[in-house]
Amino acid sequence: MRQGDKLTSNIDWPILLVYFLILGMGLMTVYSTAYDAEHPNILDFSMLYGRQVMWIGVSLFLGLVVFLIDSEIYRKFSIPIYIGTLLLLVVVLFTPPINGARAWLGVGSFGIQPAEFAKIGTAILLANYINQMNIKQQNVKNVLACLAIVIIPMGLIILQPDAGTFVVFTSFFFVLYREGITFDPIVLSLINLIPGVKFKQTWIGTHFIPLLFVIVIISVVTLLLSKTTFDLAFLGLYELPSIFGIVAAYFVIGILFYIVGQTIVGNRNKRRLLFIVILSFSIASLLSASISTVFSHLKQHQKNRIELLLGLNEEDQRDGDDYNRNRAMTAVGSGGLTGKGYKKATLASVESNHVPESETDFIFCPFAEEWGFVGTSVLMGLYLFLLLRIVHIAERQRSVYNRVYAYSVGMILFYHFAINIGMNIGLAPVIGIPLPFFSYGGSSMMSFSAMFFILLKLDSQRRDTLF
Amino acid sequence: MNFDNRKYVIIIFVALIGVVYILRLFQMQVVDDQWKVRAQEIAEKRRYITPPRAVMFDRNGKKVVSNKAYYNLMFVEKDIEDLDTVAFAKLVGMTTDEVRNRFIEIREREGYFTRKDGKKIPNYQPVRPYPFLKELTADEIAMIAPHLDKYPGFYEQVTSMRDYPYAGGANILGYLAETNREEIEKDKFYRSGDNIGKAGIEKYYEKELRGQKGVHYIVTSALNNAIESYAGGKYDTMAIQAPSLKLGMDIELQVYGELLMKNKMGCIVAIEPSSGEILSMVSAPSYDPNLFVGKSNIAKNYPILVSDPKKPLFPRPLQAEYPPGSIFKLTQALIGMQEGVIDENASFPCTQSMVGCHNHPQATSVSKGIQMSCNPYFYYVTRKIIHQGKSKNAFVDAEIGLGRWEEYLHSFGLGVKLDSDIAAIRPGLIPGPKFYDKWYGHHAWAFSTIRSISIGQGEVKLTPLQMANLSAIMANRGWYITPHVVKSIGDDGPLPQFNVVHKTMIDPKYFPPVVEGMRMAVNEGGGTARRAKIEGITVCGKTGTAQNPHGEDHSVFIAFAPMDNPKIAIAVFIENAGFGGTWAAPIASLMIEKYINGEVKDKEKEKRILDAVLDNIK
Repeated sequence: MRQGDKLTSNIDWPILLVYFLILGMGLMTVYSTAYDAEHPNILDFSMLYGRQVMWIGVSLFLGLVVFLIDSEIYRKFSIPIYIGTLLLLVVVLFTPPINGARAWLGVGSFGIQPAEFAKIGTAILLANYINQMNIKQQNVKNVLACLAIVIIPMGLIILQPDAGTFVVFTSFFFVLYREGITFDPIVLSLINLIPGVKFKQTWIGTHFIPLLFVIVIISVVTLLLSKTTFDLAFLGLYELPSIFGIVAAYFVIGILFYIVGQTIVGNRNKRRLLFIVILSFSIASLLSASISTVFSHLKQHQKNRIELLLGLNEEDQRDGDDYNRNRAMTAVGSGGLTGKGYKKATLASVESNHVPESETDFIFCPFAEEWGFVGTSVLMGLYLFLLLRIVHIAERQRSVYNRVYAYSVGMILFYHFAINIGMNIGLAPVIGIPLPFFSYGGSSMMSFSAMFFILLKLDSQRRDTLF
Repeated sequence: MNFDNRKYVIIIFVALIGVVYILRLFQMQVVDDQWKVRAQEIAEKRRYITPPRAVMFDRNGKKVVSNKAYYNLMFVEKDIEDLDTVAFAKLVGMTTDEVRNRFIEIREREGYFTRKDGKKIPNYQPVRPYPFLKELTADEIAMIAPHLDKYPGFYEQVTSMRDYPYAGGANILGYLAETNREEIEKDKFYRSGDNIGKAGIEKYYEKELRGQKGVHYIVTSALNNAIESYAGGKYDTMAIQAPSLKLGMDIELQVYGELLMKNKMGCIVAIEPSSGEILSMVSAPSYDPNLFVGKSNIAKNYPILVSDPKKPLFPRPLQAEYPPGSIFKLTQALIGMQEGVIDENASFPCTQSMVGCHNHPQATSVSKGIQMSCNPYFYYVTRKIIHQGKSKNAFVDAEIGLGRWEEYLHSFGLGVKLDSDIAAIRPGLIPGPKFYDKWYGHHAWAFSTIRSISIGQGEVKLTPLQMANLSAIMANRGWYITPHVVKSIGDDGPLPQFNVVHKTMIDPKYFPPVVEGMRMAVNEGGGTARRAKIEGITVCGKTGTAQNPHGEDHSVFIAFAPMDNPKIAIAVFIENAGFGGTWAAPIASLMIEKYINGEVKDKEKEKRILDAVLDNIK
């Protein structure tokens, strides 16, 4: 029996509320950043904010359409939808490049970016495939099939080239990890080629994905901070090498986790938790220390190559190659505790234009500059709530299909959040991807919203599923 | 196999990133100040606002130097986009080549500096504003400004320049011109394009006149355009105009003096004896100070004036060192009495064997000697001063006597640089023993060798300012305050050195007979300065005729009036005009009458002077 004949029943209202809050804060920031005293009307469609209102309207309309359609359709038509988005990705490669990339389909400013919609297509097909496959009988073939669903659009996207979205597609590996799809069959098939070796399972193969991510993240963060020094002014300490700051941060995080973890795990696991926390702290510190030591002993030309990749440059490059990152971090950092006030940004405003792309990829700058730490911590809280709530929603699904899709959405949003904010605060390389629901832009607004409303729809119908 | 626990890995991972980011934001936004400093570096710029220079009033409160608004057409090269040179040249009234050359000229003018590695780097910076056209009038800028929106990178800027309501006093007031590189490097106050006083009061009182620059903190864009005041102007400081200078000058007397000196070369210096304030200081020929307002005017007029053979730019009252002639007899008489070698009733025959004279009755007192300006009389007086018999050796005796004599004259401010408030003052020359030792050798000279100093000829040289100051000393009967131009800086009074009374080495009791001689020279029959007589005012004066080896003698006259409680002391020096009584004395009397009575009644005397052309003698 179908539960909840009304469209609105079973909707996860808290997450919808947070969605609207982020949407509102984003629109408010776009309005402030692109503000033109001669066109103060927020509905002025000649202005960015007017168009953003329009995109939000279109997105909400899409959301309504999604709610009117039975969610079953996405599962049934997952292959045509996936192939359709792939075709768009192929077609876009034959368009003239805009700003050096063939990413746009359409006329003038009303174009769409197929790569944004490819995320949905990939998520739907991956969900359908994993739903059908037997996790307990993983073999090289079906693991490779899962990888192929993700890697084919990635290949087409890097041809545009759009490095940002390419990186975002690696978020699907998190989903594979959660579903227990490991690289173990591939690792085993390689390792067992060695005569006399006959493993049934390898720890590395099983945990390959999270290990890779942890190592990549720790390395990137350590390298990104390698040039900075820390001033702990309130302790009277200045110009501390970055490694001290990193280890101190690990320590703080470890303590926080232990305190939080204690309340979650039962009494008998407390010692185990402590052991895990200390072990993780030691390994992470050791890894960071060794990376920064190795890096500092590299030859200069090798260093330069890594620095270029990460957008890390000498101090004297802060008005040169490192211009964007330096201006962005300055805008964020100068916001202070309470910010400079709404429409009072001095660096990330459209007239001053010190921060480039302050309505799109660097929109966090004007927000952080105007609202300070008070504002940024609220926004961080909202995003964290959104992301953790999606994980929560994913875990309450009865079908694997729904769960894979929900995780896909969650991880894609997480990637955008982590990279976008991270590049504004110098903790992630500068990769031009929008902040979901916040940045100006039609394609990203529509695709994120469609993705989000499909998730809500699936969630509201989670009790109907029979498979 | 159940993978449900893996959700914790993902939750922890998401939460971890969230916590790290919040910590990082806290560190960047709250703990660490470097980003706020960096933001200031990037977006907050200081703009300096130069206040209008202090204005100047004369002693009667008449505005002598004021400011007028002008406009500069500024540009910032970095902001210029696709300049339509043809249209722009038309707008500013230049040819396209001139426009191009102007940019090159501005760049070159800033010069280069040599870096450590020997590479030459231009000082010019494309992000800085420079004036493309300077000092446009309101009418001129009104033709250009409305079209500037078509030329990004160009903008108008108000500036102020000097304005002189009276076309007089140029040699006192000086002028302003753009600072050069050395001046900018020496004093951080100045930036390229600022003006600085180059002569006269403008130069001497530069620091008192320039005021305090204001700072306007602004938020600038990535293109260096000003967007808005920083923090609503909370930290801005106002440009403060310096308080006005009150001059001792009487501008109407100054202008009248310049009128009288038309077609003559020389100068007039008038001082208020009681205060040392310079009432007027005419250097003839002179020029209209408005000719030196602004760069283009200076560029046009300076070459003309500097190559004029009559030297209008030469500040004669301060720098011309002339033999004083007979006015020097006053000091000889005073020194003689103070030294006790004569008394007021000393009588000497007019024996013209040693030194020439004109026909007059014998001078039987100091007063009569002054009145009739008898050369032999002062020849004897000076010989008595120099040779007092303090040594049996005549050379040693002369050395002692001349040394003493030099000391006396220094106490009159003669032969020494007066510590006045005008730049480039000359000391004149009072030859002392050391001077003659150099000329003739040690102990190789006596009075007979140097006798021409007794009547103010020979090596003796005074500036007209010193002559006027001598007159003021006579008026004050023995003391002077260093002559100066500025009566008061704002309400603070003059510089401290102008409150100091300098006493001469002569006892005031010896002055009356000399002053009486000066009165008689003007007012009694047989006096040399009868042309200086004014109805109703007792003028005391002394003529001089300075021998000029190059041509006609110079006409000198010093005077003060009234005899009791004198208001004005004056020196008039007319080059190549012959006897002092003929031209210098009447000019002095006109000045005195004008100053004391406010107008001149003796129109005939005035007309004679105005009509006289004395500057065509080479």
